[in-house]
Amino acid sequence: MQAQSDQESELAKLIVETLNLEDTEPAEIEPDEPLFGEGLGLDSIDALELALAISQKYEVQLRAEDEKVQHAFGTLRSLNTFIQNHSAEA
Amino acid sequence: MFQNSKPATPLTTRDPDDFVSTGVSGQKTISDLVYEARELSQELPDGQYAINLNTNRYAYLRAFCASLFRGHITLMPPNRQPETLGQLEDRYPGSYRIGEKETRQAPSNRSAKIHSDQIPWIKEDRIVAIAFTSGSTGEPSPIQKHWHTLRVGAETNRAAVLGDFKENKYLVSTVPSQHMWGFETSVLLPLKARVTVSDSNPLYPQDIADALDRRAEPRLLVSSPLHLRALMSSGVEVPGITRILTATAPLSREDARKLEDHFQTEVLDAFGCSESGVIATRRTSREREWKLSPPFSLEATEQGTLITASHLAEKVMLPDRVELVDDRTFHWIGRNHDMVNIAGKRGSLADLNHRLVNIEGVEDGVIFQPEDSRRLAAMVVAPTLTSADILTALRSQIDPAFVPRPVYQVSHLPRQETGKLSQRAIMELYHSVRIEISERSGKNPKSEEPKE
Repeated sequence: MQAQSDQESELAKLIVETLNLEDTEPAEIEPDEPLFGEGLGLDSIDALELALAISQKYEVQLRAEDEKVQHAFGTLRSLNTFIQNHSAEA
Repeated sequence: MFQNSKPATPLTTRDPDDFVSTGVSGQKTISDLVYEARELSQELPDGQYAINLNTNRYAYLRAFCASLFRGHITLMPPNRQPETLGQLEDRYPGSYRIGEKETRQAPSNRSAKIHSDQIPWIKEDRIVAIAFTSGSTGEPSPIQKHWHTLRVGAETNRAAVLGDFKENKYLVSTVPSQHMWGFETSVLLPLKARVTVSDSNPLYPQDIADALDRRAEPRLLVSSPLHLRALMSSGVEVPGITRILTATAPLSREDARKLEDHFQTEVLDAFGCSESGVIATRRTSREREWKLSPPFSLEATEQGTLITASHLAEKVMLPDRVELVDDRTFHWIGRNHDMVNIAGKRGSLADLNHRLVNIEGVEDGVIFQPEDSRRLAAMVVAPTLTSADILTALRSQIDPAFVPRPVYQVSHLPRQETGKLSQRAIMELYHSVRIEISERSGKNPKSEEPKE
């Protein structure tokens, strides 16, 4: 398993808390595994809840119609990179 | 089969120069739609059933019209899971998928002017679409939609949800075209009312705001309580909305009032089911009674409430419990006990449980909705499987909204001698499992099977 960076662990904690993933530990989320579908099995309800939590914590608004975001939401690592790049822009 | 129906009616009665859709596909008039759908109808595979998977609303509408022109029937899959689509294809030989990969429609340059007298007419008694609801046997039940039913439904909705508006409206929807509420509002309504539909399919609050911002005409937002609550709490600024239309799940009076205050608009709630389409509306912030739309009437029977209307092929048993106030109004009491509604999708618990216990290695199990959760949860007896194995097996065959979370492994379920499992016993076990897990916080509960 790849190690999570500090920022990634923080985001993993936010994901687990926001979505009540009671049987998943934040540290268990593989940075490069898909969050949706196969991996953690998240769906569009989760995406919506997660987008809200991210906008509150990082002040970044996600857009699914932006293809970059569809990619960003792929894995813990890509989501974190997207958030860091966009909160730096703000 | 339908009393007083004409043999055929035009696809649309709108002016060919009216805008029907706008967005990444470009601005499309009724004339463009009919022209492009006619072209597409020639390119469709031979077959009889079109599984229309387009997410772009214009692409969906165009493919729906193309199937109509070609004489094909549009199938409305209840979800996009591979297994669901495979089952549909097995059940309907001669079906094909359309728009599966296409997420964006490039603007087309080909077009020629279509005049009003060139708009195709559709036979009223033709079956043009088949929707599906989740049954209790694992097999979704088909609901055949005749053109007459859809056409009268769209005209009824025009009066019920747009009524007093005379000018052109711009409609943004967050509900997929394949869902009956999305189909009625963003596919059929633009054919029968002066509505220009945004071709986008926005999910996140910023997407909804962007889509609304694209046009200045009176804006309508068609959505669900889930999306609306997210939009409100996101703090994203949205341009003025003339009316919000919501359906798919109950909206509380408190939320309706908050939404009206927040967006300085009126929120109209629509009530119906896939079998009948929208049958009633109310302004939830100030009304408790649902007002039936004119073609529908309700009839209380011992088995439940029947919906009757001359444009429906048969009477429909309402999947909800309601109390009739008078001929034209009713109160909603609740859903039938077997039914759950997650994110606007109606599912049968009996169906979900049937699938769960049929997974190889599952000895016993139950899927249920805890009072404190929007999600379903499961408790399973399956000593040889992990929770992840069970989830993988379920995901391939059920809608993601119904995938239970969490899945708890238990040693046995508290069944009575008759095999019956009471709701109370389920909840007691569920709470004790959760307490045990929280007491072990710090450890990983997944690797140690919680015992009751």
